[in-house]
Amino acid sequence: MQRARTEHTEKAWAAIMMAPAVLVLAAVALYPTLASIWLSFHRLILVFHEQRFVGFENYAFLVKDARFFGALGHTAYFTVLSVTAELVLGLGLALFLQAGPPARTLLRAAILVPWAIPTVVSARMWAWFFTQQGDGLLAALGARDIAWLGTPGYAMHAAILVDVWKTTPFVALLLLTGLVGIPPAIYDAAAIDGASRLRTLFRITLPLVRPVFVVTALLRALDAFRVFDVVYVLTEGGPANTTETLSVYAYKTMMRAGDFGYGSALSVMTFICVLFLAAGYFAWARWEENR
Amino acid sequence: MAALAGLGLAASMSSCRSERAHGGRSNGKIALVIKYQPLGEADAFQRLLRDFERDHPGVSVVAEALPTSSDVAHQFFLTALEGQARDFDLFIVDIVWVAEFARAGWLLDLSPFVAPSEVRRDFLAGLGDAVVFDDKTFALPWYVDTGVLYYRTDLVTHAPSTYQELIFAAERAMRERAEIGGFVWQGRQYEGLVCNVYEAIWGHGGETQQGGHLLLQTDAARAALHYLQSLLRTRVSPPTVTSAGEEEARRAFQAGKAVFMRNWPYAFAESERAGSNLRGKVGLAPLPTVTGEPGHGVLGGYQLGVNARIAEDKRELCIALLRHLTSRAASVELAIAYGRSPARRDAYDDPRLVSEAPLVAALRPAFERARPRPVTPYYMMLSDLLQGEFSAAITGVRSPEEALARAQALVDRLTEVR
Amino acid sequence: MRRALQWCTVAMVLAFATGPLFSQVVTSLRPDRALGGGETPFAWSLANYRGALEGRALGRSLLNSIAVAGATTMLCLGIGSLAAFALAKLRFRGKGLWLGGALAISMFPAIATVSPLYLVIRALGLRDTLGALVLSYVTFALPLSLFLLTRFFREIPDAIYEAARVDGCTPLQAWWHVGLPLAAPGIASTAILVFIFAYNEFLYALTFTSSPEMRTVPVAISLFASNRVEPWGEIAAASVMAAVPLVLVAIVFQRRIVTALTQGAVKD
Repeated sequence: MQRARTEHTEKAWAAIMMAPAVLVLAAVALYPTLASIWLSFHRLILVFHEQRFVGFENYAFLVKDARFFGALGHTAYFTVLSVTAELVLGLGLALFLQAGPPARTLLRAAILVPWAIPTVVSARMWAWFFTQQGDGLLAALGARDIAWLGTPGYAMHAAILVDVWKTTPFVALLLLTGLVGIPPAIYDAAAIDGASRLRTLFRITLPLVRPVFVVTALLRALDAFRVFDVVYVLTEGGPANTTETLSVYAYKTMMRAGDFGYGSALSVMTFICVLFLAAGYFAWARWEENR
Repeated sequence: MAALAGLGLAASMSSCRSERAHGGRSNGKIALVIKYQPLGEADAFQRLLRDFERDHPGVSVVAEALPTSSDVAHQFFLTALEGQARDFDLFIVDIVWVAEFARAGWLLDLSPFVAPSEVRRDFLAGLGDAVVFDDKTFALPWYVDTGVLYYRTDLVTHAPSTYQELIFAAERAMRERAEIGGFVWQGRQYEGLVCNVYEAIWGHGGETQQGGHLLLQTDAARAALHYLQSLLRTRVSPPTVTSAGEEEARRAFQAGKAVFMRNWPYAFAESERAGSNLRGKVGLAPLPTVTGEPGHGVLGGYQLGVNARIAEDKRELCIALLRHLTSRAASVELAIAYGRSPARRDAYDDPRLVSEAPLVAALRPAFERARPRPVTPYYMMLSDLLQGEFSAAITGVRSPEEALARAQALVDRLTEVR
Repeated sequence: MRRALQWCTVAMVLAFATGPLFSQVVTSLRPDRALGGGETPFAWSLANYRGALEGRALGRSLLNSIAVAGATTMLCLGIGSLAAFALAKLRFRGKGLWLGGALAISMFPAIATVSPLYLVIRALGLRDTLGALVLSYVTFALPLSLFLLTRFFREIPDAIYEAARVDGCTPLQAWWHVGLPLAAPGIASTAILVFIFAYNEFLYALTFTSSPEMRTVPVAISLFASNRVEPWGEIAAASVMAAVPLVLVAIVFQRRIVTALTQGAVKD
C-alpha cells in the first residue's frame, strides 16, 4: 500500500488548509501594519497637511527622546509587575479550582466577571473607587483622602492592581486547561509513593504545567506591554506623565497632536520590543525541545 | 462548517447596513448627517431637526452621536477626516480644534455664506477669533462654556473675590465642620488642568500670549503654580484634587464635601435638581483674583462646522441647517431644554430665555469676560506638553520654576521645528 | 478545618472578583439621585434597567455585540483550526515563520492600525456595517487563535494522526474526525477568549460604525453621558446586562471543557 504521507501531497494539503487564514491576514492585517511602518518613515502631521519622506529622521529623534525612554521604563515596570502577579495569583486560583472547592460552578462563573465586563466600564468603575473623597471602603481602612490616581508613585500601582484584577481570570483559565490535562494516574502514583501535597505540587504539577505556563506568560507579557485602556481611563498617563506607557504616548502623539509620522514610529518601536519578547520565547522553546 | 457559518453570518451583516448609501440619498431624499454630542434627555434637538425637515421637504437630517469626551471625539474626527470621510456633513468642533481643523483643510470655508463681520456681530466677543482665520469663517459657534466659582451659600456669607478671601473662608468652614474640604478643582493631568492653570495665571494678572508667542516664564505664571501647589500642600484643597476631573469635583461638591468648587456651569443644573441635597444652597460667582477684580474664566464650548469634502450641491443645504441650528430661536430652545449657554448675543435678550432659563441669562457677563486659550493649529500638541509640566508642578514633582522652564523649552522646540 | 479554609478562600476570591460588579449591581438598582451623594433613603428600583433598555436602546446593541462576537469566534475557530491543524500535524517547511509572522502582525498596536484600516474598510465599502467589525476583530483574534490552537493540536499524539492517514483519511478529514474532537477543550477555551475580546472591543467599534443600529455595547455605554454627567445608575445597569451573555457563554464552554476532559479523551 502506498505510503499516504508523500511530502508533495502534504504540502498541497497544508497550502489548502492554511490558505483561508493567510488570505484574511494578508488582506486585512498585513496592509495596515505595512502602512504604519511606511508612515513611520514620513513626516506627517495632519494639521500641516504635509507628508514628506524623511527616512529615519523620526527614529533619530526617538532615540534621543527622554519621554520615550520614560514611557519604555513605565511600560517595562508595568509588564513585569502585573504579569508576575497575574501568574502567581492565576496559578493559585487554577490549583484551587482544580482541587475541587465548594461552590465550584459559582466560583468558575464568578472569576470570569472581571474579564467579562467591558474595559471601558470596569476601568471607570475603579477610577470612581480610587477618586472617592473621604468616603467608602478605603477610608474605612484608614487611608483617608489619599489621591491614589493623583500621586506619582501610587498611580502606577493602582493601574497595575486594576489590570491584575481584570486579567487574572484569563490566566487562571489558560493554566487550568493545562492543569486538567495532567492524567490523574500520575497523582495516584505519587500518592501511593507517599509524596506530600507540597512535594507533589513542586515535583510533578509545576513541571508538567510548565509549557502552558510559559505560553501564558508570553501572551500576557505581549499584552501587558501594549496596555492602553486601563491606564488611559484611570490616569491618562498622569500625574506628571508618570504612568505614561508606550501605547499612551503613541496615542497622544497620533490622536491628540495628529503627528501620525512620529506616532507610527513609536508604534513600530513598541512592536519591535514586543517582537524581542516573542523571539525570546521562541528561542527558549527551541532550546527546550532540543534538551 | 463553523467557518462557513461564520462567513455566512459576516456576509449577511455586511449587507445589513443602514439605509444611507454612499451618495447620501435614501428613499429619494437628500440626507444630511450631523455628528453631535448628546445634549440631554429632552427632545428639543430632534424637534429642531424635524423643523428643518419641514421647511425643506426632500431633505432628511440624521443625527449621529459621539461620546461626550472631547478626546474621544477628537480621535474619531482625526481618523475619519484623515481617511477622507464623506459620510457626515455637519459636525461639532471644540473651540480648541477649530484652528487645527481649518489648517488641515477639513472645514469648509463658510465666508461666501457667512462673512467674518457677520460672525463678530452676531456672536459673543472672543468667539470670532476662535472661528475666523485669514479673514475666513470656518465654523459657527453653537454653545459656550466658561469656568466659574461655586460656593455654598449656607456655609459662607458671600463669594470670595480674592484668593486670600477664598483660602480664609475655606479654612474657617473646614474648622467649623470636620468632614468638609475647602476648594475642589480639576487637578488631574488633562485639558481641564490647563484651564485651571490659565485661569490662575490670569487671576494673578498675567498674560499668556504676546503677539502669537506663548508666554510661560512670567511672574504671574510662577505665582499661579505656587498658589495651586500651596492649596494642595496646606490641604485647603483635598489631595484627591490631583486626580479629579469635572465629574469628580462635582461629585465631591454635591456630596457636601467641599465649600468651593471651580467648574463649568453645567454642575449647577445638577445641584438644583429636585431631590438634590444642595438645592437652593449653591451660588455662582466669578473666579477670584489677586486684586479682587472679577476673574476671567477660560472660554470653552462647541461650534458647528461643515465637512469640506461634501459635494458642491449639498453646500447650500448644509449652510441652511447650520444657520437654523445657530439661530436665535434654536439657541433659546437649547438653553431652556439642556442648559446650554448660547453663543449668540441676541439670544440673551430673548424674554423666553430670561424667564425660563434665568441661570443661563445671568451667566452672560461671565461669558463676556471669558478668555480663549491660545488659538493655534497645534493647540492639542501644546496642551499635551503643558499638561505634563503643570501636573508635575502641582504634585510637587518639580518646582514651578523648573516646570515652566521645561515647558517653555518644549514649546520652543515645537514652534521652531514646525 | 480544611473545609473551613476552603470556604474562606472561596469567599475571598468571590469578594475580590465580583465585589466591583456587586457594587455595580447595587448602583444599578438605586435611582441616580442617590449617587450624587447626600442622604436619600434606600430606594430600590429597576428604573435604570428600563432606562438603559428603552431610553438607550441597549437591547439592539446587545444583539449587535453578540452577533459580532459570535461571528468572529466562529470564523476564527473555523479558519484558525484548519490552519492550526496543518501547522501542528502536516509536514512542510517554514512552520515557525508562518506562526511567528501571524503572531507578529497581531502584536502591532491597534492605535497605529486604526487609520490605515479605516481606509481599507472604506475601500471595501464596509463603512458602518457589522461586517467591518468582524473583519477587524478577526485580524487580531486569528493569530492568537492560531497560536493557542496549534499548541492544543500538537498535544494530540502523532500516532493517532498517522493511524487516521493510514486508514485513508485526507488531512482535511483527519482534522474533522480526529483533531476537532480531541482538542475540544482547547478549542472551547480559545472560543471563550475570542468571544470576550470581540465583545468588549471599543476603538474599532467606535471608528467604523456610526448609526445607532450598528452600535455595539461598549460604544453604546460610552454614549450614555451627556454634558459630562455620567448616569452611573444606567451605566451600571447596562454593564450588568452586558456581562450576562459573556458569563453564560463562559459557563457553557467551561462545562464542555470539563466533560471532554473527564472522559479522558485526550490522554489515552
